[in-house]
Order: sequence, then C-alpha cells, then structure tokens
Amino acid sequence: MSRRRVVALFRRVVSEIRRDRPSLALLFIAPIVITGLVTFILRESQAPQVTAVVVNLAGTRGQLVGSALGAALREGGATVSDVADEAAARAAIGDKAASVGVVIGTDAATGSSLTITAITNGLDPSGEASQVSAVLRSVVAAASGASGTAVPVVRHTTVYGTPTDDPITTFAPAIVGFFAYFFVYILTGVSFLRERTGGTLERLLATPVTRGEVVAGYTLGFGLFATIQVAVLMLWALGSLHVPALGPLPPFSIGLGVAVNGSPLLAFLVVVLLAVGAVSLGIFLSTFARTELQIIQFIPIVLAPQFLLSGVLFPVSSLPSILQPVVAIMPLNYAVDGLRQVFIRGADLGVPALQLDLAVLAIVAAFFATIAALTIRRDVV
Amino acid sequence: MALQAEPQVESAGSPPAIRALGLVKSFGALRAVDDITFDLAPGRIYGLLGPNGSGKTTLIRLLAGLTPPTAGWAEVLGTRMPSRPNLSRIGYMTQADGVYSALTVAENARFFGAMYGVVGDQPAADALDLVDLADRRASIVGTLSGGQRRRLSLACALIHRPPVLFLDEPTVGVDPLLRVQFWSHFRALADAGTTIVVSSHVMDEADRCDELLFVRSGKIIARGTGREIRAQAGTADLEQAFLHLGGDVEVAR
Repeated sequence: MSRRRVVALFRRVVSEIRRDRPSLALLFIAPIVITGLVTFILRESQAPQVTAVVVNLAGTRGQLVGSALGAALREGGATVSDVADEAAARAAIGDKAASVGVVIGTDAATGSSLTITAITNGLDPSGEASQVSAVLRSVVAAASGASGTAVPVVRHTTVYGTPTDDPITTFAPAIVGFFAYFFVYILTGVSFLRERTGGTLERLLATPVTRGEVVAGYTLGFGLFATIQVAVLMLWALGSLHVPALGPLPPFSIGLGVAVNGSPLLAFLVVVLLAVGAVSLGIFLSTFARTELQIIQFIPIVLAPQFLLSGVLFPVSSLPSILQPVVAIMPLNYAVDGLRQVFIRGADLGVPALQLDLAVLAIVAAFFATIAALTIRRDVV
Repeated sequence: MALQAEPQVESAGSPPAIRALGLVKSFGALRAVDDITFDLAPGRIYGLLGPNGSGKTTLIRLLAGLTPPTAGWAEVLGTRMPSRPNLSRIGYMTQADGVYSALTVAENARFFGAMYGVVGDQPAADALDLVDLADRRASIVGTLSGGQRRRLSLACALIHRPPVLFLDEPTVGVDPLLRVQFWSHFRALADAGTTIVVSSHVMDEADRCDELLFVRSGKIIARGTGREIRAQAGTADLEQAFLHLGGDVEVAR
C-alpha cells in the first residue's frame, strides 16, 4: 500500500467535502438542530400537566396519606382537588376536568393496609403512563412524610449512573452513534457513486492505485469528518455553557448538559469504528445504485431497520423476541450499546461488554471494507 | 509463466509497443471484441475507427488492462495485461472527462500525478502548460468550459509521461481550433516516441493518423494508411470506404 497514494486520496476527499457547503451543513448543523429539538421535546414532556382528584375512602389514616400525597403532587406542579367518592372522580376524568384520579382505600383482604388506585381516562395510554408515574413518585415522597401509615414504599435505584428522569441521558449516546453512521453512509455513497458515474473511477482504476488504497483513502477522508462531527456533537451533548441574562434576553445554556461518566476518547473509538464500517457500506452499496436518488432509497432498507432495532428509540429489551436475532446482527446496535457503556456506565477497556461491542464493530468494519474493495473493480461498461 | 509461449519479438524492426493476440471480450451472448490480433509499432499514431457500439472502447479497456479478456491476451511494452504495475507506463484519456469538478485544475493534475506515482508538482505543472491551462490552475473545474475540461482530461493522462497513450474519442465536443491543437500535441508526442491509439467515429480525423484500424462488430475489418484503405475499397473518401468494407452497402463509386 503506497502511503503517498492513500494520502493523495485522503486529501482529495477532504477538499471535495470542504467545498461542498450543503454537505458540511448536513454533517454539522443538522445533527445539532435535531438533537436540540429532540431534547427539548423529551425534557418538556417530562412534566405532564397533572390535574388530580383525590378520593379518600380510608378514614383518618387515609386523610393523613391523602394530604401528604396532595402536597407532594402540588410540589410536582400538579393541581389537586378532593372529591367525595370514586364515581365523582370517574366523572371528572371522563369529562377531562381531571387527568388522573387517586383513590385511597383499605385493602379488602387484610382490612388494615392501605391501597392506592390510580384512575386514568384510557384513551391515551402513553400519556397516562406518565400521569401514573407522577402519582407513583408522589406516593414515594408522601410515604416518607407520613410514616406508620403502612403505605408500601417504592424506591428506585440503578446499577449504573444515578436514577434520572432525563431521557436524554440514554438518548444522547444513541443519537451520536446514529448520526455518525447515517451521514457518513450518505456522503460516502453519493461521493463514490459520482466516481462511478462521472468516469473518474474508470480513470482512477487506469492508474496503478490498488483497491485497498482507494478504500483506505476514502475511510481516512470521511473518517476525519465523522470524527469532527462526533467531537462537535459530543461537545454539544455534554456541554452546558450557561449564558447569563443579557438585556431583554433571558438566561439560557448552550449544550444539552448530558452527564457522561466514561472517557470521551473511548466513545470516539466506538464511533470511529462505526464510521469506518459506514464508509465501506456506502462504497459497497454504490455498486447497486445508478443515481444519487437510489443511494437515498437504500435508507429505508439499510438504515431504518437499524434505527428501529438498535435501541435508538425503543429499548432493545422491549423488542419482540422474534426480532432479537436480527438485533444481534445490527452494527449500530453494538455502537449504541458501546456508547451507553461509556457514557452511562463509565466503562473502560476492561469491561467485557464494551470489549464485545468494539470487537464486533471492528469485525463489521473489516468485513465491509473487504467487500467494498472487491466491488470497486466491477465492470462499468 | 503462461502455458502459451510468450510471443517473441520478430527480428525485423523494433518490438511492438502494443500487441493483441486472439483478443475476445464477451458480455453474455454479445462478443464486444471478437478475436482481434495485431501488433502496433512504437512512436506511431493509430486511429481506431468505427461506429458507436462497434467495440472500440472495450478494445481500449482490454489493451489498457481495465478489464480481463474472455480469451486471448493483450500486451503493452512486452507485459501482459491486465498488469497493475504496467499501468504507470500507460496514459488513458476516457470518453467522459473523468476529472473531479469540485477540485481545482491544479489539484486534479496533482491528484492523478500522485496516483501514477509521480514525484513533485513539476510534472503536473508541465502537463498543464502543455495543454495551455497554466493560467487556470486555481480555477474550480466545475467552472471551466467543456473544451477546457477536455484539455485538463488530456493533461491528466500525460502527467506521468507514458510511452503508451490511449485516447478514447478525445475530440468529441471539441471545437475545430482546439481539435487542431490536440492533434499537434498528439503528433509531437508520437515524434518523441509515444505510441498513441486514438478512437474516433469522425472520419475526417483519420488522415492525421499514421495508420487506421477499422472496427466493426468487434472485428478489425481493415488496416492500413488512409490512402491504402481508399485504394483497397476503391472509394474516394474514408466514410464510403468504411461502408464498403463493412459489406452491407453497395456504395456508388
């Protein structure tokens, strides 16, 4: 492998992208806008508007719990009112005058321990789940305030990191991995397709360059941009630069302020391995495309399943068991897991789970680099 | 290394620069190149003439080692193609411009220079000088005119000063003035010892070649100087000679 040729290929790829403003915007601005938007949506929907009606059917003991619960709910921003019986509560929820009902009763079997029943409308399951969890959190808070009332105490603790309501903590690593994969694939695929259709590949292959040198040059070139992209995205995700109020502007902060426990360098390693695989995937798939539109058309086939099945949106453990073997062969899955190991668990190279992720990513990258090299010399005539 | 005896150089004259022996390339049932055998001497310009789809480009790609033959073989400067190391002794100007439109003129030249293993920037600058693009060195290729791009494409095939040059329809879309310039470049290169194979379907360029090879349906149907071919066909111009030798039209003399 000639270093001079690889360097020349690398410099060419870099100059081409550097002059391509829409691609630069795609690489750097799009992920920041999208992650910012997603973070905003997820965080703001953290505080669902809770309008609770509380029914006490357990006498003075229930009264005590009910007031503690009401106070905890109010502290969480909820509107709380007391109603006389369960029928009134159901009517209020049915009319959407209230979003959740809390019935404090006595357990029929024991006749002594208290039960707490949450009532919701039933029309919007996912929204109501957050209502119920708001009640649950308040029960936890109330129980500590009203001791001796035999309300079961619910506590939440995690093995890695600290319990948090901030969904960005798990979302940020996934999105960093996904964007690196997505944009590197698109840019390489389109760029290599231009080589094929523009006649430059024909000419390139008329020189003594080897296929390995071409793949290496491309990988270095796009790998550089993937690395810069990841650096920018990580700064954005992990940063929390507070800008104080200035004149009419309210104070705000730049960056999503995601907590990270591990080494950013390890996170880099994960993403770079993923990006190397994506470069080769782009080169490989450009064999089957005749137009740039077709590179885009591969997205639903190649990228959408990875997006759905790699824990970016849906936790892998929640996926149907029939899909689990498919999950096991998704490269993005290992990158997302690896990034979460580093971000949340603070894993170092000694952690077997991270070793597995890195090994799989390296194998996938090597595999796609090989088949990419093999497809380069396809006859174009 | 091969089972067949490597063709030995005949005692008469210099060894051939390019040699084809029973060269065949099939795409499915189509024989794009159909049993072609010839020797081409160094320092001469050979015109590959034939209609579109007659197999000229496939023949050039076989000779330049860009695709393996189905049968037979091609040799360039005594080395059997395809041979990657031998590519540094071959220049190839493709039918499409084959230059990077996001890069500058100089960046394109230096890039292809690096691919050919050329050391330093001087050869790239010399090649741009030769095609009169030195003053557009810093221009982005996308902003060039079609003729300028064609000149750059030629320059990129010349940077490594190859002794063998394949030019696939180099003058398509080129204005008459530039065409004259191109042909004087080709002549100067041939005089300096470069073997040039030019494909064209424009018959009026044929007389600028030292020798013509008429290609039709993947076969060489005639070979000789323009005068020889006209005499052989008994026609006044090459176009009619081509139709006549193709055997499908009775041409009025």
